[in-house]
Formats: sequence, structure tokens, C-alpha cells
Amino acid sequence: MIHIKQFSYEPGDHESEKASNSYLMSLIAIIAGLPFPIINLLATLIFYVGNRKSTYFVRWHCTQALVSQVSMLFINSVAFWWTIGIIFGDETLTNNYFGYMITAFIFNFTEFIATIYTAIKARKGIHVEWWLYGPLTNLICKPR
Amino acid sequence: MMEKTLTQLLITVLLFFGALFALQQVNWVSLFKVQQITDKTEEKLGDLLWETFKASETENTNPILVKSIDSIVSKISEANDFDKEFFKVHLLNSDEVNAFALPNGHLVIYTGLISDAEHQDELVGVIGHEMAHIQMQHVMKKLVKEIGFSVLISITTGSAGGEIVKQAAKTLSSSAFDRSLEKEADIKAVDYLTNANVNPAPFADFLYRLSLADSQLPSIVSWISTHPDSKERAEYILEYSKDKSTDFKSILSEKTWESMKEKLTF
Repeated sequence: MIHIKQFSYEPGDHESEKASNSYLMSLIAIIAGLPFPIINLLATLIFYVGNRKSTYFVRWHCTQALVSQVSMLFINSVAFWWTIGIIFGDETLTNNYFGYMITAFIFNFTEFIATIYTAIKARKGIHVEWWLYGPLTNLICKPR
Repeated sequence: MMEKTLTQLLITVLLFFGALFALQQVNWVSLFKVQQITDKTEEKLGDLLWETFKASETENTNPILVKSIDSIVSKISEANDFDKEFFKVHLLNSDEVNAFALPNGHLVIYTGLISDAEHQDELVGVIGHEMAHIQMQHVMKKLVKEIGFSVLISITTGSAGGEIVKQAAKTLSSSAFDRSLEKEADIKAVDYLTNANVNPAPFADFLYRLSLADSQLPSIVSWISTHPDSKERAEYILEYSKDKSTDFKSILSEKTWESMKEKLTF
């Protein structure tokens, strides 16, 4: 799922810190904006925009953090509005709801662990590419 | 690179839906005892709300009245395969023309409603309508919507004040359900009545008559003023019951109905 790869150049300490922060940003946002999935995405997006002109290593990791948040936004938005429907609307607790919530939890948890792991590795200047998001980031983010 | 991304995307999507499908096969509702918790909440709420009415109004325990209403409920339950023990019917002395359902199968009827009914099938229709609200789980839906789930839980755990309990009681006794829920209860009531061989037409007549009376006697005709568009309802009830069987028979004998009327107190 997660691959340590050789980056095209050796990132400096300053770059490693910024790249690591892009992941930390989404972790902090999880705590701050737990019920509202959009906050996670916004936090990563703001960090991404702020680092657009940064070095390749920083941009690459900001992009990976961002694209991973986009897919989680879809999963978590459904979970969020389904729950709201149960609390305030006509929806009831069903096996489908529990099944969805557990699936969403598994995906969120996996992403959470990957985020912590990558933040630590990136801080040390180690380049980590995730399953799906790594190749996707390689398509989006090119060296200048 | 593009191909690799697409393959991984496809695998991830398949993994997500595969996990979702597999996990949805598990009976979480019974595993987490959701039904038991919901039933317990409903049971406590129903008892608590009924206690509120009992404390503020006088219950009519006249055996003729109570037994007659019980036989109406029993007959409808039998004809429609309901557990008749679930319905807890209470008769309250009041000149208000009203009947309403509380959680956990409590069904409250005011003597004013019996007095106002010109034919016993009109009363049977209203009882059928309220039983439909109970059977279709409308009561809890309405409470959750208007009072909120968290407040309902706080009522059952005793942490909510008396005012909130009164508000919940008022919501159920003097405000209508959604239009769609009312229509569903009307249509179900027609089914219940025809299954029990009771003519649903007097129920429509009752609605129609009270829709006319509503403008003249707004203070005492609660049931109708809380159930809007009575005329329209009377029409669709008649329309829906048009093709039903015509071999109708009233549940109570004429004599019992007459003595019920005589025994009424307000």
C-alpha cells in the first residue's frame, strides 16, 4: 500500500519539514473539524495553495495530502449527511448504515495511519508514495 | 503511469464497495441491540406521556364504555393480524372532539369524540386512523422530528424537566402529523376497516361534517382543527374505498352504541 521510493533529488531539511507539515495539517483538521468533512479538505487545500511555488518535494507531498483528502471527503460527506438524517430526519438505524459507517471508519483509519507514517518519514526527507494517490500525484505534480 | 493509476483506482473502488457490501450483510441492528433500545425508549416515553394526561385529566372507567371501545380495537386487531395487547386504550372525560396516539401503543380517546359521532362507524374510523399512526410508527417519527432525538432520550433518562414532557404531550395531542403521514394513516384506516367488514364511508362523513363545524366551533373540535384539509381527506377516503366490499357490518350492536352514548360524561 505504501512504498518508499527514491525521489529525484535529496530534499533539504527545510523542505522535509514543510512536506511533513502538509500531512500534519490534515491530522490537525481531523481533530478540529471532525463532524464537518469539508474542513479537512479546506485545511489541506489552503496549505497546498500556500506551497504552490515551493520546491518539488514540498509540492509533491502537499498534492498527495490533498488528493487523499478529496476522496475521503466523498466518503465522509455521505456518512455525515446520513447521520444527520437519522438524528433529525426520517432515517432509521439500519444494517446498511452500520455497514457504511464501519467501511468509512476502516478507510479513514487506514488513511490516518498512512498520514502519520508519511509525516514522520517526510520529516526525515524520505519519499513515501501511497497506493493510488502516489501515481495520481505523479500525474498532477511535475518538476519545473 | 496513467494506466497504473486507473488500475489502482478501479481496485480501490472495488475494495470499497466489496467491503461495504460484505459489512452490510451483517445484522448490526440486532448485534447492537438497536431494536431493544428503541423499544425501551418508546415504552418509557409512552408511559411517561400517558401519566401526564392521566394526572391532568379524568379517566373514564365506565365498564360499558371501556369494554365497547376495547371490542372495537380487538376487532380491528384481529381482522388485520395485529397484536391487540399492544394497544392500550384510554378514555378521558372531556368535551373536546379528539383522539390521539402516544408512543408504545397508547391510544387516548376523549368522550367528546364519542358524543359527536353520529354513527359508531365514525368512531371506528377515527380509532382505525389512530391505530394506523401507531402501526406505521408515525408517533415516534413525529416526536423525533419535532422534539429531537437527544431531548427524547433525556426525557426517558429523567434529566429533562417537566416542561419538556408537557411539550411532547401537547405535540402529540394537539398538532397534526405531516400531510403525507395523515394521508397514509387515512388510507391504512380504510384498509383496516374493510378488513374488519366495517363501512369506511361514515369515517369520511365524519371528516366532512367536522370540516363544516370547524369554522363554527373551533375551540372544542380539536381533532379536526389539527388535521387540516378534512374535506379533501373525506374525498380521497371515499374514492379509495369505492371498490371495497359492500357487505359491511358494524362492530357493536345498536343497543350497545346507544348505551355508550347514555353513559358519557364530560
